[in-house]
Amino acid sequence: MIRNKAALFVFRTVLGGLFVYAGIVKVLEPLDFAQNIRNYRLVGQEFSFLAAIFLPWLEILAGAFLIAGVWRRGAALTISGLLVFFIVLTLVTMARGIDVDCGCFGSLSRKSGWGVVFEDLAMLLMGLYVLLSPTKKNKREASRELEVKPAEEP
Amino acid sequence: MSGETRKALRQALAIGALGLLAGAAVHVPLLKRFVRGEFRETFLSRSEYPGVRLITLQEGEDLWAGGGAVFFDARPEGPYGEGHVPGALRLAAEEEDAWLSAVVEGVHRERTLVVYCEGGDCQSSLHLAKRLHDQGFKDVRVLAGGWKAWTEAGLPEEKSRDQE
Repeated sequence: MIRNKAALFVFRTVLGGLFVYAGIVKVLEPLDFAQNIRNYRLVGQEFSFLAAIFLPWLEILAGAFLIAGVWRRGAALTISGLLVFFIVLTLVTMARGIDVDCGCFGSLSRKSGWGVVFEDLAMLLMGLYVLLSPTKKNKREASRELEVKPAEEP
Repeated sequence: MSGETRKALRQALAIGALGLLAGAAVHVPLLKRFVRGEFRETFLSRSEYPGVRLITLQEGEDLWAGGGAVFFDARPEGPYGEGHVPGALRLAAEEEDAWLSAVVEGVHRERTLVVYCEGGDCQSSLHLAKRLHDQGFKDVRVLAGGWKAWTEAGLPEEKSRDQE
Protein backbone atom coordinates (compact mmCIF):
# COMPACT_ATOMS: atom_id res chain seq x y z
CA MET A 1 0.00 0.00 0.00
CA ILE A 2 2.83 2.36 0.90
CA ARG A 3 4.50 1.60 -2.42
CA ASN A 4 1.26 2.35 -4.29
CA LYS A 5 0.92 5.62 -2.44
CA ALA A 6 4.49 6.59 -3.35
CA ALA A 7 3.94 5.67 -7.01
CA LEU A 8 0.75 7.71 -7.06
CA PHE A 9 2.56 10.72 -5.63
CA VAL A 10 5.50 10.43 -8.06
CA PHE A 11 3.24 9.97 -11.10
CA ARG A 12 1.03 12.88 -10.07
CA THR A 13 3.99 15.18 -9.58
CA VAL A 14 5.94 14.17 -12.71
CA LEU A 15 2.94 14.11 -15.04
CA GLY A 16 1.41 17.25 -13.58
CA GLY A 17 4.77 19.02 -13.73
CA LEU A 18 5.31 18.10 -17.38
CA PHE A 19 1.86 19.40 -18.31
CA VAL A 20 2.26 22.64 -16.38
CA TYR A 21 5.64 23.20 -18.03
CA ALA A 22 4.36 22.36 -21.53
CA GLY A 23 1.43 24.72 -21.02
CA ILE A 24 3.48 27.66 -19.76
CA VAL A 25 5.93 27.42 -22.67
CA LYS A 26 2.98 27.67 -25.08
CA VAL A 27 1.22 30.49 -23.23
CA LEU A 28 4.38 32.58 -23.60
CA GLU A 29 4.44 32.14 -27.41
CA PRO A 30 0.82 31.78 -28.48
CA LEU A 31 1.39 32.71 -32.13
CA ASP A 32 4.23 30.22 -32.54
CA PHE A 33 2.04 27.51 -31.04
CA ALA A 34 -0.82 28.50 -33.35
CA GLN A 35 1.53 28.03 -36.29
CA ASN A 36 2.55 24.63 -34.89
CA ILE A 37 -1.08 23.55 -34.83
CA ARG A 38 -1.67 24.91 -38.33
CA ASN A 39 1.33 22.96 -39.62
CA TYR A 40 -0.45 19.68 -38.82
CA ARG A 41 -2.79 20.65 -41.70
CA LEU A 42 -5.78 19.24 -39.86
CA VAL A 43 -7.64 22.41 -38.90
CA GLY A 44 -7.89 25.86 -40.45
CA GLN A 45 -6.29 29.14 -39.52
CA GLU A 46 -9.05 30.35 -37.19
CA PHE A 47 -9.35 27.09 -35.26
CA SER A 48 -5.56 26.88 -34.91
CA PHE A 49 -5.54 30.34 -33.35
CA LEU A 50 -8.31 29.56 -30.87
CA ALA A 51 -6.80 26.19 -29.93
CA ALA A 52 -3.47 27.93 -29.26
CA ILE A 53 -5.22 30.35 -26.91
CA PHE A 54 -7.10 27.75 -24.87
CA LEU A 55 -5.28 24.39 -25.07
CA PRO A 56 -2.20 25.49 -23.06
CA TRP A 57 -4.45 26.59 -20.18
CA LEU A 58 -6.16 23.24 -20.17
CA GLU A 59 -2.71 21.65 -19.80
CA ILE A 60 -1.64 24.04 -17.03
CA LEU A 61 -4.84 23.70 -15.00
CA ALA A 62 -5.10 19.91 -15.36
CA GLY A 63 -1.40 19.61 -14.40
CA ALA A 64 -1.77 21.92 -11.42
CA PHE A 65 -4.89 20.12 -10.15
CA LEU A 66 -3.07 16.80 -10.51
CA ILE A 67 -0.08 18.01 -8.48
CA ALA A 68 -2.31 19.57 -5.83
CA GLY A 69 -4.39 16.42 -5.60
CA VAL A 70 -7.58 18.44 -6.02
CA TRP A 71 -10.16 16.93 -8.42
CA ARG A 72 -7.48 14.31 -8.92
CA ARG A 73 -9.45 11.94 -11.11
CA GLY A 74 -10.92 14.74 -13.20
CA ALA A 75 -7.44 16.10 -13.81
CA ALA A 76 -6.11 12.62 -14.66
CA LEU A 77 -9.05 12.09 -17.01
CA THR A 78 -8.36 15.40 -18.78
CA ILE A 79 -4.65 14.63 -19.15
CA SER A 80 -5.26 11.04 -20.30
CA GLY A 81 -7.81 12.29 -22.83
CA LEU A 82 -5.34 14.87 -24.16
CA LEU A 83 -2.62 12.21 -24.42
CA VAL A 84 -4.88 9.82 -26.34
CA PHE A 85 -5.66 12.72 -28.69
CA PHE A 86 -1.93 13.59 -29.09
CA ILE A 87 -1.06 9.95 -29.85
CA VAL A 88 -3.80 9.60 -32.48
CA LEU A 89 -2.83 12.98 -33.96
CA THR A 90 0.84 11.97 -34.21
CA LEU A 91 0.03 8.60 -35.81
CA VAL A 92 -2.37 10.20 -38.32
CA THR A 93 0.23 12.85 -39.17
CA MET A 94 2.90 10.17 -39.70
CA ALA A 95 0.51 8.15 -41.87
CA ARG A 96 -0.19 11.24 -43.99
CA GLY A 97 3.56 11.72 -44.42
CA ILE A 98 3.55 15.25 -43.03
CA ASP A 99 6.85 16.44 -41.62
CA VAL A 100 6.06 18.70 -38.69
CA ASP A 101 7.51 19.85 -35.38
CA CYS A 102 5.41 18.18 -32.70
CA GLY A 103 4.97 21.47 -30.82
CA CYS A 104 4.91 19.54 -27.55
CA PHE A 105 7.24 21.74 -25.51
CA GLY A 106 7.49 24.97 -27.49
CA SER A 107 10.88 25.66 -29.02
CA LEU A 108 12.33 22.49 -27.42
CA SER A 109 10.11 20.43 -29.70
CA ARG A 110 11.39 17.78 -32.00
CA LYS A 111 9.88 16.28 -35.11
CA SER A 112 6.61 14.47 -34.74
CA GLY A 113 7.33 10.71 -34.87
CA TRP A 114 7.66 7.45 -32.96
CA GLY A 115 9.66 9.10 -30.16
CA VAL A 116 6.73 11.37 -29.42
CA VAL A 117 4.27 8.44 -29.55
CA PHE A 118 6.30 6.41 -27.01
CA GLU A 119 6.72 9.40 -24.70
CA ASP A 120 3.00 10.08 -24.82
CA LEU A 121 2.27 6.40 -24.17
CA ALA A 122 4.52 6.44 -21.09
CA MET A 123 2.71 9.53 -19.82
CA LEU A 124 -0.65 7.94 -20.63
CA LEU A 125 0.23 4.94 -18.44
CA MET A 126 0.98 7.31 -15.55
CA GLY A 127 -2.26 9.17 -16.21
CA LEU A 128 -4.33 5.97 -16.24
CA TYR A 129 -2.64 4.78 -13.02
CA VAL A 130 -3.66 8.00 -11.29
CA LEU A 131 -7.13 7.89 -12.83
CA LEU A 132 -7.80 4.30 -11.74
CA SER A 133 -6.29 4.55 -8.24
CA PRO A 134 -9.05 4.47 -5.63
CA THR A 135 -9.98 7.75 -4.02
CA LYS A 136 -9.94 8.16 -0.22
CA LYS A 137 -13.71 7.74 -0.09
CA ASN A 138 -13.51 4.46 -2.03
CA LYS A 139 -10.83 3.19 0.31
CA ARG A 140 -12.92 4.02 3.37
CA GLU A 141 -15.86 2.14 1.91
CA ALA A 142 -13.68 -0.83 1.04
CA SER A 143 -12.22 -1.03 4.56
CA ARG A 144 -15.70 -0.71 6.11
CA GLU A 145 -16.82 -3.70 4.07
CA LEU A 146 -13.84 -5.67 5.32
CA GLU A 147 -14.69 -4.81 8.90
CA VAL A 148 -18.31 -5.78 8.51
CA LYS A 149 -17.76 -9.10 6.79
CA PRO A 150 -16.21 -11.12 9.66
CA ALA A 151 -19.10 -10.16 11.92
CA GLU A 152 -21.57 -11.67 9.46
CA GLU A 153 -19.95 -15.06 9.71
CA PRO A 154 -21.64 -17.47 12.09
CA MET B 1 -21.85 4.87 -15.47
CA SER B 2 -20.76 4.74 -11.82
CA GLY B 3 -20.98 7.74 -9.55
CA GLU B 4 -17.20 8.00 -9.44
CA THR B 5 -16.90 8.08 -13.23
CA ARG B 6 -19.57 10.73 -13.49
CA LYS B 7 -17.79 12.77 -10.85
CA ALA B 8 -14.48 12.52 -12.72
CA LEU B 9 -16.22 13.61 -15.94
CA ARG B 10 -17.82 16.57 -14.18
CA GLN B 11 -14.42 17.59 -12.77
CA ALA B 12 -12.83 17.28 -16.22
CA LEU B 13 -15.56 19.48 -17.72
CA ALA B 14 -15.03 22.04 -14.97
CA ILE B 15 -11.28 22.05 -15.68
CA GLY B 16 -12.08 22.59 -19.37
CA ALA B 17 -14.36 25.52 -18.53
CA LEU B 18 -11.70 27.06 -16.27
CA GLY B 19 -9.20 26.62 -19.12
CA LEU B 20 -11.47 28.58 -21.46
CA LEU B 21 -11.84 31.37 -18.89
CA ALA B 22 -8.11 31.54 -18.17
CA GLY B 23 -7.19 31.54 -21.87
CA ALA B 24 -9.70 34.27 -22.66
CA ALA B 25 -8.62 36.37 -19.67
CA VAL B 26 -4.89 36.17 -20.32
CA HIS B 27 -5.06 36.69 -24.08
CA VAL B 28 -7.60 39.55 -24.23
CA PRO B 29 -5.32 41.71 -26.46
CA LEU B 30 -4.67 38.85 -28.91
CA LEU B 31 -8.35 37.89 -28.99
CA LYS B 32 -9.30 41.51 -29.70
CA ARG B 33 -6.93 41.58 -32.65
CA PHE B 34 -8.34 38.25 -33.83
CA VAL B 35 -11.90 39.61 -33.69
CA ARG B 36 -10.74 42.65 -35.68
CA GLY B 37 -9.64 40.27 -38.44
CA GLU B 38 -5.95 39.79 -37.75
CA PHE B 39 -4.21 36.36 -37.97
CA ARG B 40 -6.59 35.09 -40.67
CA GLU B 41 -3.81 34.57 -43.20
CA THR B 42 -0.71 34.27 -41.07
CA PHE B 43 0.18 34.25 -37.40
CA LEU B 44 2.65 37.01 -37.97
CA SER B 45 2.32 39.75 -35.37
CA ARG B 46 2.00 43.13 -37.11
CA SER B 47 3.21 45.01 -34.07
CA GLU B 48 6.32 42.83 -33.80
CA TYR B 49 7.05 42.69 -37.52
CA PRO B 50 5.57 45.85 -39.07
CA GLY B 51 7.83 45.55 -42.11
CA VAL B 52 6.85 42.02 -43.10
CA ARG B 53 3.82 41.33 -45.27
CA LEU B 54 2.41 38.75 -47.64
CA ILE B 55 2.12 39.56 -51.33
CA THR B 56 0.33 37.91 -54.24
CA LEU B 57 2.02 36.33 -57.24
CA GLN B 58 1.10 39.37 -59.36
CA GLU B 59 2.81 41.75 -56.94
CA GLY B 60 5.81 39.44 -56.82
CA GLU B 61 6.03 39.36 -60.60
CA ASP B 62 5.77 43.17 -60.82
CA LEU B 63 8.54 43.59 -58.24
CA TRP B 64 10.74 41.12 -60.12
CA ALA B 65 10.08 42.80 -63.49
CA GLY B 66 10.75 46.22 -61.97
CA GLY B 67 14.14 45.01 -60.83
CA GLY B 68 14.06 47.03 -57.63
CA ALA B 69 13.71 44.13 -55.20
CA VAL B 70 16.18 41.53 -54.01
CA PHE B 71 14.75 37.99 -54.14
CA PHE B 72 15.66 35.28 -51.62
CA ASP B 73 14.90 31.60 -52.08
CA ALA B 74 14.42 29.81 -48.75
CA ARG B 75 14.35 26.30 -50.22
CA PRO B 76 17.11 23.68 -49.88
CA GLU B 77 19.99 23.63 -52.35
CA GLY B 78 18.63 20.77 -54.53
CA PRO B 79 15.31 22.32 -55.53
CA TYR B 80 16.98 25.73 -55.83
CA GLY B 81 19.49 24.30 -58.31
CA GLU B 82 16.75 22.78 -60.43
CA GLY B 83 15.05 26.11 -60.88
CA HIS B 84 14.50 29.42 -59.10
CA VAL B 85 13.34 32.97 -59.71
CA PRO B 86 16.02 34.55 -61.94
CA GLY B 87 18.44 36.47 -59.79
CA ALA B 88 17.17 35.04 -56.50
CA LEU B 89 19.82 34.27 -53.89
CA ARG B 90 19.53 31.06 -51.93
CA LEU B 91 19.26 31.68 -48.22
CA ALA B 92 17.91 28.85 -46.05
CA ALA B 93 15.78 29.97 -43.12
CA GLU B 94 17.92 27.95 -40.68
CA GLU B 95 21.28 29.45 -41.72
CA GLU B 96 23.61 30.54 -38.92
CA ASP B 97 23.29 34.19 -37.89
CA ALA B 98 26.82 34.94 -39.08
CA TRP B 99 26.16 33.47 -42.53
CA LEU B 100 22.86 35.30 -42.86
CA SER B 101 24.51 38.59 -41.90
CA ALA B 102 27.29 37.98 -44.43
CA VAL B 103 24.84 37.28 -47.28
CA VAL B 104 22.86 40.47 -46.69
CA GLU B 105 25.82 42.61 -45.67
CA GLY B 106 25.95 44.74 -48.79
CA VAL B 107 22.19 45.09 -49.18
CA HIS B 108 20.78 48.47 -48.18
CA ARG B 109 18.29 48.14 -45.33
CA GLU B 110 15.74 50.33 -47.16
CA ARG B 111 15.56 48.00 -50.14
CA THR B 112 12.56 45.79 -50.80
CA LEU B 113 13.20 42.10 -50.23
CA VAL B 114 11.02 39.29 -51.54
CA VAL B 115 11.30 35.84 -49.99
CA TYR B 116 9.65 32.60 -51.04
CA CYS B 117 9.71 28.87 -50.30
CA GLU B 118 8.11 25.79 -51.91
CA GLY B 119 4.55 27.08 -51.73
CA GLY B 120 1.47 25.46 -50.25
CA ASP B 121 1.86 25.49 -46.49
CA CYS B 122 5.62 26.04 -46.40
CA GLN B 123 6.70 28.26 -43.54
CA SER B 124 10.41 28.75 -44.18
CA SER B 125 9.89 31.96 -46.18
CA LEU B 126 7.99 33.53 -43.31
CA HIS B 127 10.65 32.38 -40.88
CA LEU B 128 13.37 33.86 -43.09
CA ALA B 129 11.38 37.08 -43.46
CA LYS B 130 11.26 37.48 -39.68
CA ARG B 131 15.00 36.93 -39.43
CA LEU B 132 15.68 39.48 -42.18
CA HIS B 133 13.38 41.93 -40.41
CA ASP B 134 15.41 41.35 -37.25
CA GLN B 135 18.50 42.25 -39.29
CA GLY B 136 17.04 45.70 -39.82
CA PHE B 137 15.28 45.38 -43.17
CA LYS B 138 12.17 47.51 -43.24
CA ASP B 139 10.35 46.09 -46.25
CA VAL B 140 10.31 42.29 -46.43
CA ARG B 141 7.61 40.68 -48.56
CA VAL B 142 6.63 37.04 -48.53
CA LEU B 143 5.45 35.57 -51.81
CA ALA B 144 2.35 33.73 -50.62
CA GLY B 145 2.11 31.06 -53.34
CA GLY B 146 5.82 30.36 -53.23
CA TRP B 147 7.81 28.67 -55.96
CA LYS B 148 4.83 26.45 -56.87
CA ALA B 149 2.70 29.44 -57.90
CA TRP B 150 5.61 31.04 -59.76
CA THR B 151 6.46 27.99 -61.85
CA GLU B 152 2.81 27.04 -62.46
CA ALA B 153 2.20 30.51 -63.87
CA GLY B 154 4.97 29.86 -66.37
CA LEU B 155 7.09 32.78 -65.19
CA PRO B 156 10.81 32.91 -66.07
CA GLU B 157 13.09 30.43 -64.33
CA GLU B 158 16.82 30.18 -63.88
CA LYS B 159 18.87 27.05 -63.17
CA SER B 160 22.12 26.83 -61.22
CA ARG B 161 25.15 26.45 -63.52
CA ASP B 162 25.88 22.83 -62.55
CA GLN B 163 22.30 21.83 -63.31
CA GLU B 164 22.37 23.07 -66.91
